[in-house]
Amino acid sequence: MQRALSIRNVYTAYGKADVLSGVDIEILPKKITCLLGSNGAGKSTLIRSILGLTPPREGEIIFEGLPISGHPTHSVVAKGIACIPEGRRVFPKMTVKDNLLMGAYLESSEKKIKMNMGKVFEIFPRLEERQEQLAGTMSGGEQAMVSIGRGLMSSPKLLIIDEPSLGLSPALVSENFRIIRKINDAGTAVFLVEQNVRQTLAISHYGYVLSQGRVTAQGTAEELKTSDEVQQAYFG
Amino acid sequence: MDISLLAQFTVNGLMLGMMYALVAVGFTLFFGVLDIIVFSHGDVVMVGAFAALTGHYWLTGIYPDMSMWVELFFISCISIITVAAFGMIMAKTMILRLRSASPLNTLLATMMLGTVLREAVRLFFPGGSNPKPFPVLLPDISASFGDFTLRFDSVILFVLGALLIVSLHLLITKTKLGMAIRAVAQDEETARLMGVNFTLIVLITFAIGSAVAAFAGVMNGLYYNEINFGMGLLLGAIGFSAAIIGGLGNIYGAILGGFLFAGLQTLGAVAMPFASAYKDVFAFGVVILIMAWKPTGLIAEKTSERV
Ligand SMILES: Nc1ncnc2c1ncn2[C@@H]1O[C@H](COP(=O)(O)OP(=O)(O)OP(=O)(O)O)[C@@H](O)[C@H]1O
Ligand SMILES: [Mg+2]
Repeated sequence: MQRALSIRNVYTAYGKADVLSGVDIEILPKKITCLLGSNGAGKSTLIRSILGLTPPREGEIIFEGLPISGHPTHSVVAKGIACIPEGRRVFPKMTVKDNLLMGAYLESSEKKIKMNMGKVFEIFPRLEERQEQLAGTMSGGEQAMVSIGRGLMSSPKLLIIDEPSLGLSPALVSENFRIIRKINDAGTAVFLVEQNVRQTLAISHYGYVLSQGRVTAQGTAEELKTSDEVQQAYFG
Repeated sequence: MDISLLAQFTVNGLMLGMMYALVAVGFTLFFGVLDIIVFSHGDVVMVGAFAALTGHYWLTGIYPDMSMWVELFFISCISIITVAAFGMIMAKTMILRLRSASPLNTLLATMMLGTVLREAVRLFFPGGSNPKPFPVLLPDISASFGDFTLRFDSVILFVLGALLIVSLHLLITKTKLGMAIRAVAQDEETARLMGVNFTLIVLITFAIGSAVAAFAGVMNGLYYNEINFGMGLLLGAIGFSAAIIGGLGNIYGAILGGFLFAGLQTLGAVAMPFASAYKDVFAFGVVILIMAWKPTGLIAEKTSERV
């Protein structure tokens, strides 16, 4: 099986206590791979491990055949991985436009930056209207758009998204899922962390369930929908 | 008070304000990217002045009849480059390493570094324990309007300082490097997620802040024609205060704070001509009142752009 990113036997700790204890996950190219799990399961920690913000203390992370664990965040990002972090994390005192430009920080071609910004504005016309507004003064939903748009500005090979629908209205949540689907249709591999199980499984190809730092179930979206673990945890 | 005296005070105040602003900008830049106070920053200004003086000894030794302008250019470059390199080394070997500890440790360590710098210059610079004459490198021309004398060298220094501040402003607001510095100041982790090399940006920021301080040191030497190993102590306290009144982390606030502090000193000297030695007491006293009145600085965080 071909893979975009492999996480192999990863242990990650803050201080002494392990939050991840031996996680194995494969992220498929051009597919949506999702990670489900309750609060505190270690989902965001796994993302931090991939991106080098909290490097794993043991195990391997391999992107397109090359190890990236232990590399500084900026060189991981340079390989073509972008992240839409938990809680949006827009730069509050920068304009919407500058936030988007930060997303293309490692892109040197002006032409590509322009093109990507055009694509983002196509998905979120609202951002084009509000280009000059300070991101910190935007509404929660608008900030989510800025954060997603910023993640697309580098035309990444792999996009990692941590709970994009947190705090959004149901209408916006559905809109978000549609957009993620669209991003993936364009060929970008997506690693989606979500609590919104039904909608996540509806758009994902493959999924994992993380519980207390370990993978407790995995399978295709169809398999997970009917699996006992997921049924008990989320639909029971 | 008569108008020419008022003009004299205003010009002196503006000169001081420019020097303070240049020092305060460093405090605020460092706080912006790392949330720390680098207490040795005032002494770095002093090192800048002494580096320029060393450059003067060295250059006039080799080319005794160098023109004033050429020499000024070269000793400024020597000072700025040396001090910028020093700032980077300090950040790399000390300040970045102290990140995992409390910011108080950084405060203490940089306070000690300041003492080391002061004492090193006092003990190892030839005749370092005495005030050293600084070369006169600007034409000694002045224009008189009644009792008011406008020194040409002050005008040049002021213009150079203003140019430096404008360049810094353009760097921070218009360039990609400036955008990275602002991103790190607003959210370090997210900046890294965007591909910003955090360590590199911190080192560059320290180079910039220290270079600006070096220029303030040269300016100080040219203005007073004398420098001494302890000159950074008060300059540091004033630059720090100016940065605080302006709202730490805000560059424009720091510049405003610098001029405000100089204004207070001048006001103190004008209001108490019988006791102008108390002008610092007056100025620092007012700073304390301002801090009590507006604890987060005069420019509120909400409306201001941090770094
Ligand atoms: N910086 C940190 N220092 C110490 N412990 C942390 C830190 N960040 C997270 N943790 C702990 O690690 C565990 C996993 O946290 P993590 O944020 O990865 O969970 P999560 O699965 O993303 O949860 P959620 O769905 O609520 O976002 C939690 O017990 C949390 O308290
Ligand atoms: Mg999380």
